[in-house]
Amino acid sequence: MSAVHRVRLPVGASVLVEAGHRVEPAEVLATRRPPGPGVTIPVAVPLRCSAADARAALEVTPGSVLEADGLLARHGSREVRIADAGLFLAYDADDGTALVAPLGPTEPILGHVRGEVASVGADAVEIRVDGALVTGIAGSGAAVHGELRVAVHEPGEELRAGAIDVGATGRILVGGSRASAETLTRARAMGVAGIVLAGALDKELRDFEAAQRRRRQIGGARGAFSILLLEGYGKTSFDPALFAWFRAHDGRMASLFGDGARLYVYDAEPMPGRRALPRPGDRVIAHRRPSAGATGILLRELPGTYAAPSGVAARSGLVRFDDARTAIVPLANLEAAEPRSEG
Amino acid sequence: MTVVDAELALLLDVGSAWAKASAIGVVRGRWRVVAHAAQPTAWGAAELRRSLVERLAEAADARLVDRLDELVAGAPRIECHTARQPRRLVVVAVSRELSGGAARRAAEAAGWSVVDVVSLDDGRSLADRLSLLQQAEVDAWLLAGGFDGTRSPRALEAAALAAAARRPDGGPVVWAGSADLAQEVEALFEPGSVTSVPNPRPDGRRETPDALREHLQDLIAAIGGGEPETNLAAMSFPRAVAALASRSRLRVLAVDVGARAAVRALAEPDGTLATRVHAQGGLAGLAAMPGAAARVARLAGDAGDDAAIADVLQTLAARPATLPETAEELHATQVAARLQAAALIEEGGVGPLDLLVGAGRTIAAAPHPAQALRILLDGVRPLGVTQVAIDPAATLGPLGSLPDAEIGEGIGLLAEDLLVPLGTTVVTRGGDAGRPAMRVTVHRSGWPASSPIELRVGQLQVVPLPPGQTAELSIEMGEGVSIGAPRRSPRITATATGGAVGLVLDARGVPVQLPRRADDRRAVLAAWRDALGRETSPSTEHLA
Repeated sequence: MSAVHRVRLPVGASVLVEAGHRVEPAEVLATRRPPGPGVTIPVAVPLRCSAADARAALEVTPGSVLEADGLLARHGSREVRIADAGLFLAYDADDGTALVAPLGPTEPILGHVRGEVASVGADAVEIRVDGALVTGIAGSGAAVHGELRVAVHEPGEELRAGAIDVGATGRILVGGSRASAETLTRARAMGVAGIVLAGALDKELRDFEAAQRRRRQIGGARGAFSILLLEGYGKTSFDPALFAWFRAHDGRMASLFGDGARLYVYDAEPMPGRRALPRPGDRVIAHRRPSAGATGILLRELPGTYAAPSGVAARSGLVRFDDARTAIVPLANLEAAEPRSEG
Repeated sequence: MTVVDAELALLLDVGSAWAKASAIGVVRGRWRVVAHAAQPTAWGAAELRRSLVERLAEAADARLVDRLDELVAGAPRIECHTARQPRRLVVVAVSRELSGGAARRAAEAAGWSVVDVVSLDDGRSLADRLSLLQQAEVDAWLLAGGFDGTRSPRALEAAALAAAARRPDGGPVVWAGSADLAQEVEALFEPGSVTSVPNPRPDGRRETPDALREHLQDLIAAIGGGEPETNLAAMSFPRAVAALASRSRLRVLAVDVGARAAVRALAEPDGTLATRVHAQGGLAGLAAMPGAAARVARLAGDAGDDAAIADVLQTLAARPATLPETAEELHATQVAARLQAAALIEEGGVGPLDLLVGAGRTIAAAPHPAQALRILLDGVRPLGVTQVAIDPAATLGPLGSLPDAEIGEGIGLLAEDLLVPLGTTVVTRGGDAGRPAMRVTVHRSGWPASSPIELRVGQLQVVPLPPGQTAELSIEMGEGVSIGAPRRSPRITATATGGAVGLVLDARGVPVQLPRRADDRRAVLAAWRDALGRETSPSTEHLA
């Protein structure tokens, strides 16, 4: 099975790969020279003309990239050139100066995935990844890659700070039903690459992100760290089938894109799929309180509509959850868990 | 038993989260809504048809039951749908608050999703601004800055920043800054890529966004990917509201708070229409809004703490087709809808209304009519005497997708079933807390004369007035209290029409004033909820 990963190219990037190339997560797909802080370059004075005349003498338009010693303006025999390569931004007709952003050192653009380049376009490179794609409902953080490691023993277990040791450094941890801001902070401090959670409290994610933002501002946070949320907000268990799939792939390499809420697990078996509108007999997972994250069997669909305790009337079904509880749940709040997806 | 013959048509509204279908048929010579079904959009068209056939079977002539599937399959479909992918735009401006803020508001009100506002005072470095813009994935660029009559070099710098970061042919560019710089800005980009529109901030005091908003609405339609514009719910819903206003000769405001987007349509009796479409104005939009959970917690009173509500708001964004099962989650969701309805109104106010219509499942499919009324009443705060109704079968959107000449006809044919009246509200503003706000005498035909009802500022009262009934109101205002209309006599008369809730006398002010202390606030909110929520009967009139 395979999935296609799209790497967006910023304006001005130089592509280094072609369709058909095999690439590794750390391989450079393209390079770019990001513009640095703007500098003001006198134009009218060296051309010995008025600011208005100097505008007409410009050889560039905003967005033009100039090489080192590139020509900025020419008036008769006089020229203005820039010393270092830069991006021309604007001309100030009041004081006859040009605003140029010198191009910084070359920066690599990585794909962060392993696979084969499927296509190269002006604005993106697409890579076909051999493995399974896991999409979450939310995430945060830049791309990371590392070995998957299941860090909890049960689908409903919370990931505790104490479970994170040096053995987790550089890995993508899987687990659990919740992780506190303290746990996330410890994981980051221990050099964990990323965490895949079934559930998390929005407040704790925000607290963690706020702390990271402050650390970045004072230069204290280095390296990427990514979080992927799979099932829901609040304490939410893993679907046991999905948890078992992760356990079966413990130790596999994976690439995690928190901001895009995507996880690629290489050379993986198809993951358990999901389907809207479950039918009687299906294994189901519930997505709203009070049953959020609970799994069970949909015994039957009730005739007509049924009003939940909130008063909302909807097509509903009787579910026997794995903890032996039975409850009537709106079908809209259930997904059927399928043994395999086609990826 | 209802008779359904072969004259059947389907009204379909396919939203981003839920799909709604109504079957309309000729019953005893008149077109009626004969069945309605709603389900998560992800369940698919076949399931929706199956549900609709099931609903039809409950009401149809027994001789037709076996043919219903065939009849529904072959019925003409009048359909609208939510845009599959909101169009994205980046704003590049001189000032985040002035030019950037005006441009952003106009873009959002035109239905664009604004991915970022890059301004020369946003605290980012020039390099960061350039990098951000170079990586922006957008469908259009909106540039703003400089007052008319000036040649602001900063405005030109902002435009140049965009020109430096944008790819050639990287989407249309709209210049909405100083008119004096239009030619220079156009020269920064490839020919034909820039359109100049009137400046939404022509000077430091005024904001005139209409021309920009209309241009941006047209631009969305122009790059709409080949979808017929009138089939987009954001277009068809307001068209139906305009036709409704025109036919009824009423001033109508309709608000549709959906899962992702929200639409506000204000239609005058002559059919003139003002529309706002907020791509992120739906329930999902609150999750990303700083402080939203605390605001919902404060206004809900008993829906849980900030952390629990934050999880509810995130769930609305992550799983928009799911339903609240607990009373707390429902309450939080309804307050979220109220906040988004209020956000639609904040932009400029709407003035006195004759009819307020609520749409979107959170409002129109609320478990209790009083809950729908409260979302509308607290969100919109319609000053004066206003009829309030909901569109429970989501029929307005599909009807608005008909050709112009047929919308009014469709509304006329289905007049009885389009809207469910909730009642009439009388909303006052002004006055001192605890002082008399209004004294209302209600004359209901066939009812014994009743003594006047006196409300103090801060109070809310429901008077029974069932659907189909009308009442003549005689309203005397307290000192400093107003219902918006100019007062020519100490007594104002008005006609109230009944509905599922009744006549609501609301002296809570505009905006609603809440106690600062949490306990007091919770008690007041609970009292208002109880006053609206209790079943009203002729012998029970509730005051809170």
